[in-house]
Amino acid sequence: MNRSFLGKVFAPRKLTPQLANLAKISLFNQLSATELGIVDGLLHHRDYLADEVVFDEGEEGQAIYLIESGQIVLMHPGQKENESERIATLGPGSFFGDMALIDNVHRTAQARATQGSRLAVFFREDFLGLMDTHARIASKIALQIAREMGRRLRQQQSAESHTWHQHQ
Amino acid sequence: MGQRQAGPLVWVGIVATTCLLLAALQKLLWLTVPFLLALILYYMLQPAMQALIYRGMRRETAAGATMAGFIALILLAGVLILPEFGARLLDWQTTLLRYLQGGVDLLDRSLRSLETSWSVFANAQLADTAAARLAQFTNSLTSYLEPLVVGAATWAPALLLTPFLAYFFLRDGRNFLSFLARAVPNAFFERTLDLMAQVDHTARAYFQGLLWLTVLDTITLGLGLWWLGFQGAWLLGLICAILAWLPYIGSVLGGLLVVLVAATDFPQVPQMAWWAVGLFVMARMLDDFVYMPLTIGKSLSMHPLLTVVMIFVGGAVAGVAGLMLVLPVLGVVMVIGQTLGYLLTDARLMARHRHARNLGRQAAEADLF
Repeated sequence: MNRSFLGKVFAPRKLTPQLANLAKISLFNQLSATELGIVDGLLHHRDYLADEVVFDEGEEGQAIYLIESGQIVLMHPGQKENESERIATLGPGSFFGDMALIDNVHRTAQARATQGSRLAVFFREDFLGLMDTHARIASKIALQIAREMGRRLRQQQSAESHTWHQHQ
Repeated sequence: MGQRQAGPLVWVGIVATTCLLLAALQKLLWLTVPFLLALILYYMLQPAMQALIYRGMRRETAAGATMAGFIALILLAGVLILPEFGARLLDWQTTLLRYLQGGVDLLDRSLRSLETSWSVFANAQLADTAAARLAQFTNSLTSYLEPLVVGAATWAPALLLTPFLAYFFLRDGRNFLSFLARAVPNAFFERTLDLMAQVDHTARAYFQGLLWLTVLDTITLGLGLWWLGFQGAWLLGLICAILAWLPYIGSVLGGLLVVLVAATDFPQVPQMAWWAVGLFVMARMLDDFVYMPLTIGKSLSMHPLLTVVMIFVGGAVAGVAGLMLVLPVLGVVMVIGQTLGYLLTDARLMARHRHARNLGRQAAEADLF
């Protein structure tokens, strides 16, 4: 009787539609339903209109943004009209502004919504708090960020190598 | 955030807001004190609740379980302590009068000793004058005690709010902050999150610092009093450490208490009272120059001069309550004031906010024409 009561209280959480939606974001795809529930409690959900600026280049970064719906472009100011010069165009499931989660650094590009978008915001202080209280969740998230950075680095190296071969 | 410098206008606003808040809080003292105690309890119990959440418990259940555990501990302590306390309560009046008389005797002995050494004091009949004044005070003691007892009786139900408030802070504190954050426009959102985190840091560091300070003070005074041979040294140390929550006045009350106990329990060793005073002065110096900067002082990151001036201002504006509340209130107002000053003078953030409002208006009017 006692064990079943404790079993119920500490039972793994079921994946609700809200948590299932969160699990689609690559940053969180290693988390269990219980862990997603804990992270969900730390997120802030914000709606952005088409053409609204999410953050500016040079701004002090305090949070990472996760795209739940809509589309975000990353670019340097003044490149709005020139699609080929955009740094990246991101859709649902992607995240951006991830350096802010690790360090108090300035944004290296401007982020702007190209259509009505819903973003989940994960504040750095909450992530640092998570490292203290829920180190396993924080390390899973940090691993995903490291993977994403590695992927970007490989992409950049590949692009540079491609350009070098073209010049040859 | 740390490199931001607030201008003189912002600082005038911060000091003025702190004074206004203290004056307002003084009027709502019956709510302010339980609220403050609930905040201390919240920061004490939060780690336990976090541990339960990590093991898979929902926040609501974890908050309930943590608070239930705390209340059970208090009840258990009450069951263990109350019988002895009840037995001693019967002769509390005799004990109190005994200690007061001990203090009066010490004062009388000290003044007469001064009179023997200094003719100026002997001519002024210092000991007799002080004895007459004390007798007058003792006769009208009831008139001083009555408002205190009535006040305590009025406050007792309000203090029951403390665990109730702490439970809701644990359960809904985060939701409330998210609710507040939802009202903030997108352009200011990141800065506001930072502001909230700093306010939380300031409050957490202050209250946790206060608890650490109490532990350090208790250990120092308890050890010293135990070494001097006082009975109930640790309890006395704890009472003095809690009294020290009130800047200045608390220290004086604590010192007075120790002297009264020394004078009464060691009537045949008059120098014991002076040893106790010496110990207390040493403990206060350790407190001011070592413990305080290590705990509370560090947490509020305020200039020492500002801290001292504001303590006096708090006392002048709101009495004892002002002395107790001025530092945490100033800490929170300082962070809010500095951030608001920064937000409202940032042309880019204001422009982004206006741009977002225009976009919203255009979206709302899109199919009207």
